[in-house]
Amino acid sequence: MNKRRITIVSVLAMAMIFLSGCGFPGLSSSSDDTIRIAALNTTEQQILASMDQQMIEHYTDLHVTIISNLGSSNVSFEAMKRGDADMSAARYDGTDLTTILGKTSSGNPKTDSETVKKAFQKKYGFTYLPSYGFADTYAWMVTQATAKKYNLNTVSDMKTHASELSVGLDQTWMKRSGDGYPAFQKKYNFSFGTASPMQIGLVYDAVSAGKMDAVLGYSTDGRISSYNLKLLKDDQNFFPPYYAYPVATTKILKEHPELIKVLSKLSGKISVSTMQKLNYQADDELKEPSVVAKEFLQKHNYFEGSND
Amino acid sequence: MKNMNLGQQLVEYFINNGMYVLQQFSRHFLISIYGVLLAAIVGVPIGIWISRSKKLSDVVIGIANVIQTIPSLAMLSIIMLGLGLGVNTVIVTVFLYSLLPIIKNTYTGMQNVNEDILDAGKGIGMTAFQRLRFIELPLSMSVIMAGIRNALVLAIGITAIGSFVGSGGLGDIIIRGTNATNGAAIILAGALPTAIMAIISDGVLGFLEKKLDPSRH
Amino acid sequence: MISFFQANGAELILKIWQHIYLSFISLGLGIIVAVPIAIGLTRAKKIAGFVIGLASVLQTVPSMALLALMIPIFGIGSLPAIVALFIYSLLPILRNTYIGLNNVDPSVLDAAKGIGMSNMQSIIQVELKLAAPVIMAGIRLSATFVIAWATLASYIGAGGLGDFIFNGLNLYRSDLILAGSVPVILLALITDYILGKIEYVLTPKSIRV
Repeated sequence: MNKRRITIVSVLAMAMIFLSGCGFPGLSSSSDDTIRIAALNTTEQQILASMDQQMIEHYTDLHVTIISNLGSSNVSFEAMKRGDADMSAARYDGTDLTTILGKTSSGNPKTDSETVKKAFQKKYGFTYLPSYGFADTYAWMVTQATAKKYNLNTVSDMKTHASELSVGLDQTWMKRSGDGYPAFQKKYNFSFGTASPMQIGLVYDAVSAGKMDAVLGYSTDGRISSYNLKLLKDDQNFFPPYYAYPVATTKILKEHPELIKVLSKLSGKISVSTMQKLNYQADDELKEPSVVAKEFLQKHNYFEGSND
Repeated sequence: MKNMNLGQQLVEYFINNGMYVLQQFSRHFLISIYGVLLAAIVGVPIGIWISRSKKLSDVVIGIANVIQTIPSLAMLSIIMLGLGLGVNTVIVTVFLYSLLPIIKNTYTGMQNVNEDILDAGKGIGMTAFQRLRFIELPLSMSVIMAGIRNALVLAIGITAIGSFVGSGGLGDIIIRGTNATNGAAIILAGALPTAIMAIISDGVLGFLEKKLDPSRH
Repeated sequence: MISFFQANGAELILKIWQHIYLSFISLGLGIIVAVPIAIGLTRAKKIAGFVIGLASVLQTVPSMALLALMIPIFGIGSLPAIVALFIYSLLPILRNTYIGLNNVDPSVLDAAKGIGMSNMQSIIQVELKLAAPVIMAGIRLSATFVIAWATLASYIGAGGLGDFIFNGLNLYRSDLILAGSVPVILLALITDYILGKIEYVLTPKSIRV
């Protein structure tokens, strides 16, 4: 009996060591040469994460695993802070300024971006790598017919009809502090008749099908042009610019300095219209983000020779 | 894309992303298998151990029963708070849910071994370990396998939910389908392989279970 | 803790109510459909194997896959969730009712016939009564499934306590995760306990363990 108990305890102990230690073969869960990239549940983030992954695996011997489907940039931030992830596929400086740092925009995008980069380096040990080159921002959008009906050109134009409008919003934007709905109501001084939170990916269809009068979506979504939606101008400059950057922990960059060089090759290579096209391929042409990323990188020969 | 019917879209999807689906399929399967394997390593010895004591078995099976009753999304989220995002959290969750079927079936298998055969074993001078190795385990193998089978089917389902904490697998495809325009084809492209994986695993292990059944020899 | 309840208490109660509502409607439908089918199957044993086999396969389909498959058919909201949960609740009830009825001692049935009971009377007054504990065990298992998968149903817009969990996951807020998880765990455990008690009461004294 005693012998058996020892066996059991040792088996349990072995299992625990197995669990906590070396990781699982085939899953690149947690070994020294694995880079873990956090990606949100948006198409854009998943395409960028796949690009980072394929660039790293193309140029180095490192393995990459993507922690995908995270619900908001808060989650990917926490994942990096806790050490669950080594980098974020894309962070948007405007979002980090208002939600993570809790500051308001200075009105000057350059200053804002510098503030975020410095604070992230100093406070959290995260390094903002060079930007992909495009800015994504929240944008109010309506169909051309709705725009005509209510004579809408700017966000402020919605004020007079706000109580009759039903709008679709990103679930997380509803509640988030900084640049979320509560702050929006204060700045623009109106609220909507009905505001329905929904999956961000579904807002474009909802507005073009007439289920919603207006929706808050991402300016880089490919469906804006394919559905001929009208973007309303953010006349109060409520949404700061959200330039997209890969962000890595300074720790992982010290361990693998080659990452900086590899990821810098993507710097400035993705314009807004490129991103819209890539997003469109994944959202409307039945291609997985990783496939979209692969085709894009192969077409550009993995940006061989750039930034060397 | 809109002028294709669902079947055509599905074919188009697999042509575009076949390799990707295959990768996620194997990842999904590995996550489930690792969780169940760990549970077997831990659960079978526990099952054997508690088959020696009625009191102990009540307590252990009671605890495992409570774990089983907890909704898996709740369990997954709570474990995530402790272990963080990523695949390890999902493997631990799978492990916990696999424990009950494996422990319970091992226990039942051991209990069902005929006392007379054990006495005969004792009679010819077998040690306790030999009796376990040559009599009890072979005779209860089929029942234990049934437990592993239940556990694996459960595990494949839990792994799909694991995509919410970033573990990857076929759940990624399902979630993306719920987010994409005309996502029905993508949802199917994720859901069908998941269902097929579960049904085939169930069938194969069911076959093994029958093979191992001593009454059929 | 207190401030959390002040801020979210009303919403919490609403979500608990939605969760109970979703689970019980699906479970109720499951009972209404599965028990008569199982009774029919005991009278048509040839197709019983096939029907129960089919239900077993449905049970194998991962819940996430089944729920997602409902979206193209029924859209989002509580209807697709109820349909999916209903399908899940079928098998345990179907299988247990069938087994329970089959285990009824044939001599008892003969006796029922002997005293002039019709087929219907025999089913209601004798067979179902004797099979009640086994049927109840099936219902109990189904209840556990349904409460668990109702949590996931939040993802397709059905509401319920899953809303808190998903919001918590999306914002990385442990308070929201716990506000969803703890009540749903309690709900599952309490339901299981109560149904276990009913199962015990329904079991004839002579065969109680």
